[in-house]
Amino acid sequence: MKQTKTFLLGSVASAMLVAGPASAEEIRILINQSPWLNGFVAMVEEYEDQTDNTIELDVTPFGGMLEKTRNSVRGDDGRYDIVALNAAGMAEFYAGGFLKPLTEIDAEFALDENVLTFGGSTGWNFDTNGFSADGDLLGVPINGNVQVLYYRTDLYDEAGLTPPETWDDLMANAKALADDNTYGFIPRASRDSILYNFTSYLFSHGGSFFADPSGGDYSVTIASPEGLKALETYIALGNEAGPPNPGAIAQAELIQLMSTGRAAHAIAVVAAYPVLNDPNSSIVAGKVGTALIPAAEGEEHASAAGHWVAAIPKNVTGEKQDAALDFLNWFLSKKQQLFYVQSGGIPVRKDLSDSAGDNPSFAFLPAFSENASVSRMNMPLPQGSQISDAISLFLNQAVIGELTPTEALNKSADEMHRILTEAGYTLAEPSKL
Amino acid sequence: MATNSTRRRNALWRIGSLLPASLLLVALSIYPVFNLVGLSLSDVEWIDGRAHSEFIGFANFDQLFRHETVYWAGVRNTIIFAICAVTAQMIFGFSMALAARRASGVTRAVLTAVFLLPIVMPPIVIGAMWRLLLGRDFGAVNTLLGYVGIGPIDFLGNPDIALASVILVDIWHWTPFVFLLMLTGLESLDQEVFEAAKFDVRSPWQELRYVTIPLMVPTILITLGLRLVLSFKVFDEVYLLTGGGPGTSTEVINFSIYRTFFAQDRLGVGSAMSLLTLVAVAVLIVVVNLWIRKRRSKSQEATS
Repeated sequence: MKQTKTFLLGSVASAMLVAGPASAEEIRILINQSPWLNGFVAMVEEYEDQTDNTIELDVTPFGGMLEKTRNSVRGDDGRYDIVALNAAGMAEFYAGGFLKPLTEIDAEFALDENVLTFGGSTGWNFDTNGFSADGDLLGVPINGNVQVLYYRTDLYDEAGLTPPETWDDLMANAKALADDNTYGFIPRASRDSILYNFTSYLFSHGGSFFADPSGGDYSVTIASPEGLKALETYIALGNEAGPPNPGAIAQAELIQLMSTGRAAHAIAVVAAYPVLNDPNSSIVAGKVGTALIPAAEGEEHASAAGHWVAAIPKNVTGEKQDAALDFLNWFLSKKQQLFYVQSGGIPVRKDLSDSAGDNPSFAFLPAFSENASVSRMNMPLPQGSQISDAISLFLNQAVIGELTPTEALNKSADEMHRILTEAGYTLAEPSKL
Repeated sequence: MATNSTRRRNALWRIGSLLPASLLLVALSIYPVFNLVGLSLSDVEWIDGRAHSEFIGFANFDQLFRHETVYWAGVRNTIIFAICAVTAQMIFGFSMALAARRASGVTRAVLTAVFLLPIVMPPIVIGAMWRLLLGRDFGAVNTLLGYVGIGPIDFLGNPDIALASVILVDIWHWTPFVFLLMLTGLESLDQEVFEAAKFDVRSPWQELRYVTIPLMVPTILITLGLRLVLSFKVFDEVYLLTGGGPGTSTEVINFSIYRTFFAQDRLGVGSAMSLLTLVAVAVLIVVVNLWIRKRRSKSQEATS
């Protein structure tokens, strides 16, 4: 009885702490089908339990997210009160003026200092036409999906290895662990996903895509000696320690090979961690560790930011915008972020490690934090999807041997330069090899 | 002799009966084509939540011919795809129809049901199923090949054979369509001709060569034309199996259009691609129609 009373009082107190909007609203959210969906659904259910608001989710495969978002925000009346996309995909919506600045919904709203912005991806600077934490606050992160290095802890223990610091270390470890039944390393090099995985290689070799994107200088710099070394490393890891024909391996195949014990290493999104360590979906559950992605000797580490951002469109009613912001604000609180991780989500705060304890659900947090702190976006501009499609093909052709690495990078540079100059950017001549 | 009022009533009836279909045709076919033409000559930008369209003449077509190399790789692959897939489907579909026609009773019903199974399956199921079957490391096909010491073969990951693998799936998917039309055609042939031909032909092969195939020519040509045009619409199999890769080895026209129009949001260039493809397929339809008519009239001349 006492327990019941305490629980009721606690519930009332919780409900009072969560200051919801005046009247109950139904919020419609467009969200993608992903490995972290279960965590998001659990958060939605938790929010509905704690408030009078209800949430309707439209769960859509990644391939259809962009079209659905465009259709909703471009009409007079939006279908969704919250749209969620990977940050790079969000650029065109930030730049296109479809989203309501969050401080116009609530002038007091600001992101907590412990919320990760992953290179300022929550704001947009309309002068430089790029992401900026100092620009208009247009979105909040909802999934910190950075890349991490996965490795088999059991194989490492048997062989007496330590997680690699450099790409050379990774190559050595991958070759040491490769045998007839195990690939040393799985590259994700299919045409639609290679750019994302190449990003950490490029940055951690000291290369870059653009001269100074945060300053608004998008002069193309991909074809550089550092870029060449990065691409050669990418190809070598696949050819010397990976499966045949890596040019067809996408995220699904990568996770499949890791979860079936056929691979010793892979670089993939941290959202794959719950899947790889779930005994119902992985025969190596409990044997997959995470680490910081290697860097070239003497260079800084880097991870590719693949995080997701949620935003509120202009074309929904003020009441819906208020309710949507209430949900997002609740979502970002430390307490709810801990619940999110326990439910299979990837957090967007950097102050959770102290609350993790020995809970195995939180085991990826140290590697997550390390990679999140060095994560960078590859295409932080509205033309990102067009450039991504164009250069992904060349990178993929380099992996399958149709182009040399030098040809692939020079063609990428030419195509990036052409796309951007046609879009009206003023650029210096692209660097070439 | 019809009076003036009867003629007027007939004219009104003709107009009235055609009007709904005409309006639908205008709304669903002709307007979108004009819209496509307009978009292909425009540059569309979104500024402050509103679309801004600017007339730019043939710049999108210039872009298409000079820079869209992936689209042209798709054109080449689509032509190879159409020729190989449709040829195989015609041969297998016709053979299966002959087999089903010669069978009787339960065997025939079972054969027809089995042959038709692929065509009733949703494309998403077909894609997922064949992706699992053809997988290099875990695919059932490679497991079976492994028992006889072959492979593993990377059907979808090897750029040299990826297109052939997609063609194989398309043949499996669409041969039942050919089978169905051929079986209907065979069923509708006049049996008296076959009875009469028994005196002249000495073997089933001769019956096929000199009686069945000549009588089936109109059905074969129509089926061939339909499949040829439909094969240019291939999209789902490529999307689900290979995503156009590795490289451009399985890129097809519709996949390029989809990516340009939807993923990249380049409405102008995407419309130019669509328009060019539309014109090419329309020309193909006209050519195939003319060919069918010519062959029909030749066939009628021969029989008269």
